[in-house]
Amino acid sequence: MSDASLNNTSKTDLGRREFIGNGAKLAAGVSLAPGVMLYGVAHARPADQAVTDDVRWGMLIDTNKCAKGCDACVTGCQQENGWGPQSGNETKSNEYQAAQWIRKVDLRNTSTGSVHSLPMLCQHCEHPPCVDVCPTGASMKRADGIVLVDKHICIGCRYCMMACPYKARSFIHEPIVNPRTHAPRGMGTVESCTLCVHKLDAGEGTTACAEACNSAGHQAILVGDLKDPNSEIAKKVASVATTQVRADLGLNTGVRYRGI
Amino acid sequence: MKPLFKLLKALMAGLVLMISAPAFAGGLGPDIPAPVKGDECVADTQEMRVNHMKYLKGHRDDVLRRGIRNKTYHLSECLECHVPAREEASQPTRADNEHFCMSCHAFTGVKVDCFSCHATMPEKSAAFHPIVTPAMQTLREVHQPPSAQLLNELAARGARDE
Repeated sequence: MSDASLNNTSKTDLGRREFIGNGAKLAAGVSLAPGVMLYGVAHARPADQAVTDDVRWGMLIDTNKCAKGCDACVTGCQQENGWGPQSGNETKSNEYQAAQWIRKVDLRNTSTGSVHSLPMLCQHCEHPPCVDVCPTGASMKRADGIVLVDKHICIGCRYCMMACPYKARSFIHEPIVNPRTHAPRGMGTVESCTLCVHKLDAGEGTTACAEACNSAGHQAILVGDLKDPNSEIAKKVASVATTQVRADLGLNTGVRYRGI
Repeated sequence: MKPLFKLLKALMAGLVLMISAPAFAGGLGPDIPAPVKGDECVADTQEMRVNHMKYLKGHRDDVLRRGIRNKTYHLSECLECHVPAREEASQPTRADNEHFCMSCHAFTGVKVDCFSCHATMPEKSAAFHPIVTPAMQTLREVHQPPSAQLLNELAARGARDE
């Protein structure tokens, strides 16, 4: 199966409707002053406007820059989203039960002996298996490609955890006290990386892990809009060889890696 | 038949009064904590009492599924005004009847699930609240007593009317 045919599987009615809607908006334009119109502003989405598939958020991780033994991205995520040992929650959960939005993985090529270190997190697939299997519709993908759990209707069956090829999701086993305001977490629901959706929606255009990686001096994580040809990530993806983990599954992941 | 019915009705009314009397002993209705800041809610008190759950539920789906994040009916924005921030000494917990939401929900016996995931209080007390405009601030200075007291009086009056 080619990539093109894969990409067409789920873009039928909704895309067309949204296209028509956007066309109407674009035709209307935004009137700044009499005679001055503003058409199509790329990332300045007003707070009361829904996300569309004109944007696809993605991440590019350069494993050549990712330092072995460094876990700045993990601690950055923990601080931002209030999970991990620092949060003071989930004290009884063992290492297989505890929250795991992002983790560091070391890969060793057995024939050459070369070792790569990389962060593994929700890959924000275009065709997410976790969404396919969810019996309540709690596991969902936003129009801009961010895969999330709607904890309001998650029943904690953990089917999505089984379905995820990347082992990116975790289940909360214990009551949570003092969650972060922008990252609600509760016992009995499944959670995973949100691609710092609260930051992206606020127009910050980056994630906590990328910021932490930058301040650690590695610059291994790049976040941006894959559909915007002028974005740094789109230019990079177009110019260098990048890979998807388990590309054979045809999920078209939003998180891509370089150097593996 | 009719006089008997009347008598029964009067008896029932008396009974209801007797039962409800202790509940209202410390004032009418639950003891709702005054807002920490802000001069005006996003809708008037009566409207919010009746329909706050509808606003919150509609908004939660908008935020999560469609990324619409206007702040009018944001739960964290409610807490911003109604609950002291975590850094403040007097902050209540969700189990505490002193919490703005829980005081009323405990009184009415309605279970609220929001706080099994959501934060019960703001993390920091923001210096400026989006609902309070400079015009409102001047109004507040003109009108004495402070608005928090006024709101509480209104709330108490509302409880009496019900």
